[in-house]
Amino acid sequence: MQSLKNLVTYNNPPMTPGERKVSRLVLLFEDLVKVPIFRCQRCGECILSSTAFICSQNCPKRLRNGPCGGTGEDGSCEVYPEKKCVWYKIYYRSKLFKRLSLLYKINKIHNWCLEGTAAWLSVFRKRIDGPIWFVRNDKQKVKEII
Amino acid sequence: MTLKEKIESNQFIVCGEIGQPQSCDGDVIRNKSKHFKNYVDAVNITDNPSAVVKLSSMASAKILLEEGVEPIMQMTCRDRNRLAIQSDLLGAAALGIKNLLCLTGDYQKFGDHPEARGVFDLDSIQLIATVANLNQGFLLSGMEMKKKTDFLIGAAANPFAKPFEMRLIRLYKKIGAGAKFIQTQPVFDMELFVKWTEKAVEMGLHEKCAILSGIMPVKSAKVLEYMKEEVPGVKINEEYINRMKQAKDPKEEGVRIAVEQIQTIKKLKGIRGIHLMPVMWESITPVIIQEAGLKTFS
Repeated sequence: MQSLKNLVTYNNPPMTPGERKVSRLVLLFEDLVKVPIFRCQRCGECILSSTAFICSQNCPKRLRNGPCGGTGEDGSCEVYPEKKCVWYKIYYRSKLFKRLSLLYKINKIHNWCLEGTAAWLSVFRKRIDGPIWFVRNDKQKVKEII
Repeated sequence: MTLKEKIESNQFIVCGEIGQPQSCDGDVIRNKSKHFKNYVDAVNITDNPSAVVKLSSMASAKILLEEGVEPIMQMTCRDRNRLAIQSDLLGAAALGIKNLLCLTGDYQKFGDHPEARGVFDLDSIQLIATVANLNQGFLLSGMEMKKKTDFLIGAAANPFAKPFEMRLIRLYKKIGAGAKFIQTQPVFDMELFVKWTEKAVEMGLHEKCAILSGIMPVKSAKVLEYMKEEVPGVKINEEYINRMKQAKDPKEEGVRIAVEQIQTIKKLKGIRGIHLMPVMWESITPVIIQEAGLKTFS
């Protein structure tokens, strides 16, 4: 279980004007990759690697911790029934990629100061956690968590 | 005895639910509270359910307190950001409200103000963590308060929406964030519910929190059909619709179904109580509680 302190506090060294300039530059490149491939919503606190590389911020409620109770029988979104629920897709892709253990992690309260800034820079500055590229022994890990 | 003490002392819990009026008429709540007083342990007070504007949950909870009924105040993330949520929670604590149900909230599209801007600054799991943080005496800013809150934190679970395993992961997260009791969506598919409960017991989640199963008595088959078509994430077994259609007195059949469900659920391992949601039919509560043989409370 994660500690409560960890869930409700953000590591937040304030961004200096100079850093914001750098952030804009980094964002140019980040957008080139993330917007076309993942439909990145530029929340600035990227959790793509823990959601099997599907951007959870495309959820109409922008949920960061799993689907709401309205997912349809066919996996449709309750708000836009013609679309699939983002978290439905995340679950099945996590299963396919053997990354289910990552879904058990609670994503902490979003820091809106970071919206529209480069997540790559924030990883470098240790504001946010870095991406998790490989998950080994996913099944074992899930068992340990439970 | 408060709800917290009852949960800690392993009693079978019975919760009710009151829907507020779409006006400032507090007497509606006072009248409805009579159907619950001395019958249930606590009563849920909704917070703009289905994104329809109703009398505020905090004010209604205060009215219930005055009437001698223990309220469970619902708090959603749709209408408030973290500032408003925390200040409302402090206000609720100052009014003597002890129980809280943390929800994400229905999307505004489903309500009477579909043009509204939804907030969703936090989600339900983060809201639970926020309340747990208040209980420890801290605001989200990190400031330590002079007086801690003492909320009993509840959360909702929907065992019937897809994907099934993700529902258990979310339940796990909610408990991890600090939820002490869980209320489920109304059960209209017993098979799936039993399966969900077994999995939750397997994960050991029933030991960390009290799971209360949702029971919804309905007046007619139409209600069930409406819910099946219009309410997202609700799964209704055809069997119930057929039974309601064929019944001579649908209201009586509705009560019979609810009582049967309660009796099945009472035997399930890992379920610690029920959450009765007689939507627009609050007066039926005493009948169901007596017929199901749940003890009355003094």
